[in-house]
Amino acid sequence: MAIDRNAGLPQQLLFPPERTSHWEDNLPEQLGQFQPGAVEIFTQQWQLTCRDLQRLQTQLQEAGFSIALVRAGNPQTVISAQALGLQVKPIGSQQSSNPEETTNEGIDQLRVHRGTLRSGDQLDTAGDLLILGDVNPGARVSAGGDVMIWGRLRGIAHAGQFGDKSARVVALQLRPLQLRIADQVARGPEDQPQAGLAEEARIERGEIVIEPADPRLSRRFLEGDPPAAPGRPLA
Amino acid sequence: MAPTSRTILICSGKGGVGKTTLTANLGIALARLGLRTVVLDADFGLRNLDLLLGLENRIVFTAQEVLAESCRLEQALVKHKQEPNLALLPAGNPRMLEWLKPEDMKTIAGMLEEQFDYVLIDCPAGIEDGFKNAVAAAKEAIVITTPEVSAVRDADRVIGLLNTHGVKPVQLVLNRVRPKMMANQEMLAVDDVTDILALPLLGLVLEDEQVIVSTNRGEPLTLNGSKSPAARAYGNVARRLQGEEVALIDPSKEGRGLRAKVRRLMQKKIF
Repeated sequence: MAIDRNAGLPQQLLFPPERTSHWEDNLPEQLGQFQPGAVEIFTQQWQLTCRDLQRLQTQLQEAGFSIALVRAGNPQTVISAQALGLQVKPIGSQQSSNPEETTNEGIDQLRVHRGTLRSGDQLDTAGDLLILGDVNPGARVSAGGDVMIWGRLRGIAHAGQFGDKSARVVALQLRPLQLRIADQVARGPEDQPQAGLAEEARIERGEIVIEPADPRLSRRFLEGDPPAAPGRPLA
Repeated sequence: MAPTSRTILICSGKGGVGKTTLTANLGIALARLGLRTVVLDADFGLRNLDLLLGLENRIVFTAQEVLAESCRLEQALVKHKQEPNLALLPAGNPRMLEWLKPEDMKTIAGMLEEQFDYVLIDCPAGIEDGFKNAVAAAKEAIVITTPEVSAVRDADRVIGLLNTHGVKPVQLVLNRVRPKMMANQEMLAVDDVTDILALPLLGLVLEDEQVIVSTNRGEPLTLNGSKSPAARAYGNVARRLQGEEVALIDPSKEGRGLRAKVRRLMQKKIF
């Protein structure tokens, strides 16, 4: 990392290019040469999660710095920073300064996460989310579109977090603590799941319902026919 | 460096589930297998590994002096009275927390790895600075938990953090198992815990009053070849760490309970 110390401008914390070294490694050394106060952060193309950014924020705060602006080249980092309420400016191809545009960038994309999300983990994406692994109690996943989990959902899932009421949550075992679709919230079911049957949650007549994720049923549903059997409404 | 030296962090997230007891007993058990073992107390705020080992009154120097280079490592290491293969590196004073950096822990662990086959680090509870320091030095980890919802949740969080720190492998010890309560479904079953944490089970330790007695006496259970269930379990953990295949105890056979089959059929999820 290098420092830019132009008089009058905020201090700029530069992340190293990806793969040469990890940004956390040279952070303390770089901060040592700074005056406490506001800093701008150039995250280059690094993909940072909310957790990464939070950690960075705490580290900076402990050292007497505050984050004035995050300049990010990676759409995921932009979203993470926005989720934390930080000032963000996307850098990269179109140098756009309109946050609306960057939020939309990822919306049609599918984000795939491999591995189990454990208590305290958070995953947030603008588009659809596919998780190959479990979501444990205490973990939280949210997506602008559908949340699909090839594993067990026992934490909290939020599909259609920007208001998409057609978003769905699908999991091999759907036993979340809490389920959110668009602006609806429901507690998870408490009965034992049927073995070997994937389940799906969606909004039907203003309520979140859960039912077996039957692919034929889904297709009919998508084509506009009402499903043969209405799902069980949840509390 | 001892060619096979292993640095193992013993952590749990939640307090009071048995980190320090496991560290002390595992240390003794490994030493009894003839392995040069050192236990390092990384709980600078609330140190009590020395108490459990009965070495409190023998401490002259601590990790703090070693780091400040005001004494040599050999001077700070406290050799166990009855088990010469085991040494303790005591934690410094609680104020040390303010200046201790993850690099310092790495330095200490590096020094210990040169002399010992096993370096066991007793991690403080929580996931704050103390944990971050301890985890920096660790190469592998043992997560200890009890069959309680809160302990399992905290363990899960810690496992996630261990993964992000690249600590591998992480193994699980399930402590304070009460077979009777498990059979009556008043307690999380072993399967419930391993289901969530998805870690290989390194040991099952039954609830055992002898542990409290030994703790108060400053003589770990494994020390005098006790036949108590917990002592056996700790010994088995040591042997499994050494790569030996030792079958896990079956809690359903330890107590007078329903058959495991029935249990699984009727299992009520607490999560």
